[in-house]
Amino acid sequence: MEYESKTSRAGPGHSPPSPRQSVRKNLDFEPNSTTALILEARPANLPAKPAEEAQKHRQQYEEMVAQAKKRELKEAQKRRKQLELRCKVEESIGNAAQTWNQEILPNWSTMCNSRRVRDLWWQGVPPSVRGKVWSLAVGNELNITHELYNICLARARDKWKSMPTEPVTEDAGSSLADREASLELIKLDISRTFPHLCIFQQGGPYYDVLHSILGAYTCYRPDVGYVQGMSFIAAVLILNLDTADAFIAFANLLNKPCQMAFFRVDHSLMLTYFSAFEVFFDENLPKLFAHFKENNLTPDIYLIDWIFTLYSKSLPLDLACRVWDVFCRDGDEFLFRVALGILRLYEDVLTRMDFIHNAQFLTRLPDHIPPDQLFSHIHAVHMTSKNRKWAQVLQALQKEQSSPKALSTTVIQEQNNRQ
Amino acid sequence: MSETYDFLFKFLVIGNAGTGKSCLLHQFIEKRFKDDSNHTIGVEFGSKIINVVNKYVKLQIWDTAGQERFRSVTRSYYRGAAGALLVYDITSRETYNALTNWLTDARMLASQNIVIILCGNKKDLDADREVTFLEASRFAQENELMFLETSALTGENVEEAFVQCARKILNKIESELDPERMGSGIQYGDAALRQLRSPRRGQAESAQECGC
Repeated sequence: MEYESKTSRAGPGHSPPSPRQSVRKNLDFEPNSTTALILEARPANLPAKPAEEAQKHRQQYEEMVAQAKKRELKEAQKRRKQLELRCKVEESIGNAAQTWNQEILPNWSTMCNSRRVRDLWWQGVPPSVRGKVWSLAVGNELNITHELYNICLARARDKWKSMPTEPVTEDAGSSLADREASLELIKLDISRTFPHLCIFQQGGPYYDVLHSILGAYTCYRPDVGYVQGMSFIAAVLILNLDTADAFIAFANLLNKPCQMAFFRVDHSLMLTYFSAFEVFFDENLPKLFAHFKENNLTPDIYLIDWIFTLYSKSLPLDLACRVWDVFCRDGDEFLFRVALGILRLYEDVLTRMDFIHNAQFLTRLPDHIPPDQLFSHIHAVHMTSKNRKWAQVLQALQKEQSSPKALSTTVIQEQNNRQ
Repeated sequence: MSETYDFLFKFLVIGNAGTGKSCLLHQFIEKRFKDDSNHTIGVEFGSKIINVVNKYVKLQIWDTAGQERFRSVTRSYYRGAAGALLVYDITSRETYNALTNWLTDARMLASQNIVIILCGNKKDLDADREVTFLEASRFAQENELMFLETSALTGENVEEAFVQCARKILNKIESELDPERMGSGIQYGDAALRQLRSPRRGQAESAQECGC
């Protein structure tokens, strides 16, 4: 008995009533190499098979083909189901977009806090209305206008033009901060922002836009300047909003207390945020918390990247956008809740690993994180500790740390932890 | 995840933004140049076990953010480092000029015996060179640093930088350095080895330090 794939069959003008045709007729899909197997008799120069053996082989052959066919049908069904599911998801996104566009956005102030909208919001804002929703939710407390953006941008351009290409001297201190706010580091970092998307790099379609927003910000807030991490935030906004609106959202986002604390690198205030985080960490995941403590894995090691870039660097972009959706709604508390959600999702793995493996895992999260699973873990995190909410815990810690004695002890504690 | 090694060294990679710190680490671990690298926010990690003078040494490498503004944050990672790669970019005098600041921090905040190797990275961009080999090697000599010019792109001298630094720490352990002192940045590998070397040390710590 010989099986031969259809491709190996050659020879023009050689067309016996091939069994391949009869097999094919029964299939409503393209056969692959397994179902296209052909049963052939022995070559003519060899003695023929005994009838019994030939019969047995035929039976085996038919069973094989039948099985392969079954498998293929199953796969085809699976594919169809996946397609249906995708259509359904797309349809529901379309429906949601319609709801957002026609019902919610026109009545924003009255509806944005309603139960129904909040539920819809949690499921993720459709990409087509995302920018608008973010803008509305972040607000414009700073009253920045498009004109102001243009003024800042013009100023930035003047500064760049007058800047010498080579740094003149290296006297430290004031000029150092100046230099950092300057073009060089921004330029360097733009090309290192979502490099895999290939749109922010020099010559890419959004290079100038990202450059402009970051430059304008250094003129708008020279006291803050450019800080690494900003380029990721600006980039995500650019992907969802027009330039000037992206700038407005950018400046207002960074103006939130938590973001200000981080981007001004106010270390002691950052430590306060980390301490508050640890209160809820201990509350939600005591076992993992103890394990991290034992291994001296302090939260700054993973939280700094997550908070500075609002997860846009560490989570897949579409998932990061879903985090942003709710972050725009709930504020900084949600950033720490997401952190706990991630730790909760991977609790089992993390509990089994030592310091370096945990540190590596958390500073480079898996490429594929199931979004719905992560969100159900985030949902399961409870943000109350001894009847106190996030803001209350944070406030209490801030008060505690502003008294100098308490501050020095926490610093010492922090240093001891590093040992 | 069982790993056998004789020592664990904590290593730092420090230096200005854009000098190629993360790329050096990536080349060392993956043996490949990472050409689509993000900039590091805070700290990233790598680890690798190398064989140096018949000892297996596990390097636990802390790759830090380069922006000056992050100094107050990254400084807190220095404590207890046994070795460091101090990186500048041979095509940027500015990154070379900043070395003194980085050095002061490292000497002040890491372990007293920290072994530092100066790495003039981007050796492959010789045409754009702004810092000569001679100048940098003089600086290294004056400051008691080892020195290599490296290329994270081609891989030249990358492994050597880590290995030479580790070798010097091992030499120090043989002669003067006591790994048991707090903040030395050195831990023993598996429990058996530790007991062999120092029977006084209890079992209590072994669980934490076996690193598996």
